[in-house]
Amino acid sequence: MNPTTVRLTNIHKSFGRQEVLRGIDLEARDGDVISIIGSSGSGKSTLLRCIPFLEIPDQGEVTVGDETIVLTGAGHRFSRAERQKIRRLRGQIGFVFQSFNLWPHMTALQNVMEVPLHVQGRPRAECREEAEAMLAKVGLADKRDAWPAHLSGGQQQRVAIARALASRPRALLFDEPTSALDPELVGEVLRVIRALAEEGRTMLIVTHEMAFAREVSSHAIYLHEGRIEEAGPPQQVFLDPVSERCRRFVRGQAGPVD
Amino acid sequence: MGEAFTLLGFGPEGWGHALLTAGLTTLAVSACAFACGLVLGTLCAWAKIAGPAALRRAADIYGVVLRGIPDLLVIYLFYFGGRQIVTAIANQFGHTGPVEISGFVAGSLAIGLISGAAQAEVLRGAFHAIPSGTLEAARVTGMRRWTMFRRIIAPQALRTALPGLGNQWQSVIKESALVSVTGLVETLRAVSVAANSTELPFLFFLAGGAIYLAITTVSGLVFRIAEWRAMRGQPAMRVGG
Amino acid sequence: MDLAFIAAVFPKLLAGLPLTLSLAVLSLSGGAILALLLSGLRASSWLGAQFANFYVYIFRGTPLLIQIFLIYYGLAQFPALRHSLLWPLLREPYVCAVLALMLNDAAYTSEILRGGLRAVSSGAIEAAKVAGMSRPTMLRRIVLPLAFRQALPAYGAEVTSMVKATSLASVVTLMEVTGLARAEVSQSYRAIEVFLCAAVIYLVLVTLITRLVHWLEDRLSTHRSPALDRSPA
Repeated sequence: MNPTTVRLTNIHKSFGRQEVLRGIDLEARDGDVISIIGSSGSGKSTLLRCIPFLEIPDQGEVTVGDETIVLTGAGHRFSRAERQKIRRLRGQIGFVFQSFNLWPHMTALQNVMEVPLHVQGRPRAECREEAEAMLAKVGLADKRDAWPAHLSGGQQQRVAIARALASRPRALLFDEPTSALDPELVGEVLRVIRALAEEGRTMLIVTHEMAFAREVSSHAIYLHEGRIEEAGPPQQVFLDPVSERCRRFVRGQAGPVD
Repeated sequence: MGEAFTLLGFGPEGWGHALLTAGLTTLAVSACAFACGLVLGTLCAWAKIAGPAALRRAADIYGVVLRGIPDLLVIYLFYFGGRQIVTAIANQFGHTGPVEISGFVAGSLAIGLISGAAQAEVLRGAFHAIPSGTLEAARVTGMRRWTMFRRIIAPQALRTALPGLGNQWQSVIKESALVSVTGLVETLRAVSVAANSTELPFLFFLAGGAIYLAITTVSGLVFRIAEWRAMRGQPAMRVGG
Repeated sequence: MDLAFIAAVFPKLLAGLPLTLSLAVLSLSGGAILALLLSGLRASSWLGAQFANFYVYIFRGTPLLIQIFLIYYGLAQFPALRHSLLWPLLREPYVCAVLALMLNDAAYTSEILRGGLRAVSSGAIEAAKVAGMSRPTMLRRIVLPLAFRQALPAYGAEVTSMVKATSLASVVTLMEVTGLARAEVSQSYRAIEVFLCAAVIYLVLVTLITRLVHWLEDRLSTHRSPALDRSPA
């Protein structure tokens, strides 16, 4: 069995009095592609954002690679050592946002080079070469000197994927990567993600693209009101779920099965 | 400490009355200057939006020039320059020697001219922030231009211009301190005189600062309330300037 | 107009330009450093933020001229200060003018900086966080560059207004451009010609600065408007 890359244990998270995550356990082993589905408000994005501590879980345990952080209760104050640990943990993740979040004052290439060069401190020539390779991989070699504002949404998202790859992460996290895109631009981004899945990268994908998720993932999780309602291989979750609620959800979302 | 209270108070030893009068003078100069600025600003905004090309150009030049010259120089030009001109005219009619002109008038005109350039920009910005649909809606009803200006344009533009005009009023108050160079006994002049004769400059300049701060704070509040009242029920609009 | 007189006045006034410029440059750089410190203070704690707000309130709520007077004339009221080691410095009108201009500029600049910081999108910051950037790196590479670009137009206006404000130094006897003009008028009594010459000098200076800031804005904000497709080679 492959080693564990990301593990979440008993994650709880509340916003005010609203409990968004109610005890989530999840494990991604090396090479797994896990898609996380659920209606809006089910907590799926919050769950993904808890992994790099963009949201801080109230309780539970987060492991990425060799870094484990244990949360003991809401309003946890991190020590200096823990903050450094979180930064090292983040260094092992590539995160792709729904709204791209490219740095607007840097060109495509500069966006991709930024983290290897200024956070990881790798040699400039190496960073540059690798960044160019990453841009080529997402099909944007010719846009290296373009500013984000001059790129289409699909192109921006592909640059963001290249940026996430450039830090040589152990796992890639996608937070609804195509939800902010015009329909005709969704395909180009999904193609890139699919290629990454085929390379055997470890990925967690929060998405509404049911057909795509069924196709690329090795596991699927259906979240409902902050709990995992259904989990298993994609054939089970998408085509023959145990949970009646999950069945209704995938029927409603999937549209015509191709 | 007790001495300070006596000196700033309204007793026979105190400068209280002098400072109060001076504060009122500051307010009067500022009000005149602001009014001049509003008239000039409105004219210029109109010239920039709808005026003939020559006027538009003149309004632009006025704006650039006034924004490029120190306020103090503008006041000097009005006060000393004005005196030079009036003296020259008087001498033509047989008067000899220099003729004094009022620091109040020269100062209000100078600061009005400075503020007018800025107020024009505020008003122009506010006009452009009016949703064009509301103008079209007025036009299709067959409204006359003047009615449209009075009923549709001015009320909307003034609402949006209020914060900018409020800032301008604050600037005018602070600029009015420069009029002290003409010898007009407004706040800064009054505290300078008091500072000299009591040899307590820190105390009196501090008191002067407090007077300005009180005026800017209170008028800031008044504008805030006016904005709040004007904006009730209005969609959020953002204007620069 | 008497062209010969004007030709004679111009060089006399231009002699004050170095002083005008040195006042502006010193007080702007000092003001910028102070403004950064104020921003740091504002972010540090509740008490720090209250102090920063109070500072800005005081300096923006009172005329610059009274601030200059308070420092130049006001400090002499304290015998302890008059006998201190700092007095030879604080007695100098130049030092007092720079000090007042600097303190004043810091208040306005810190507000401009605050506006710029507020405009940095939370997405850009999240992307930096998730990449494992430390706070100093994030500040240096992402937050400050973005805030600076955002604040540039307002800061440009502040620079020109400081250049104009240096004319107030003439009131505490400094012989910069306005001071020299004032002296010239008291000799020649030709106020209009002399002050107009001075005005032209300031106008040219301010126009040059405005151009420079526009040029800088253009260079730095290619990323903002899709209309200008200009990529560096």
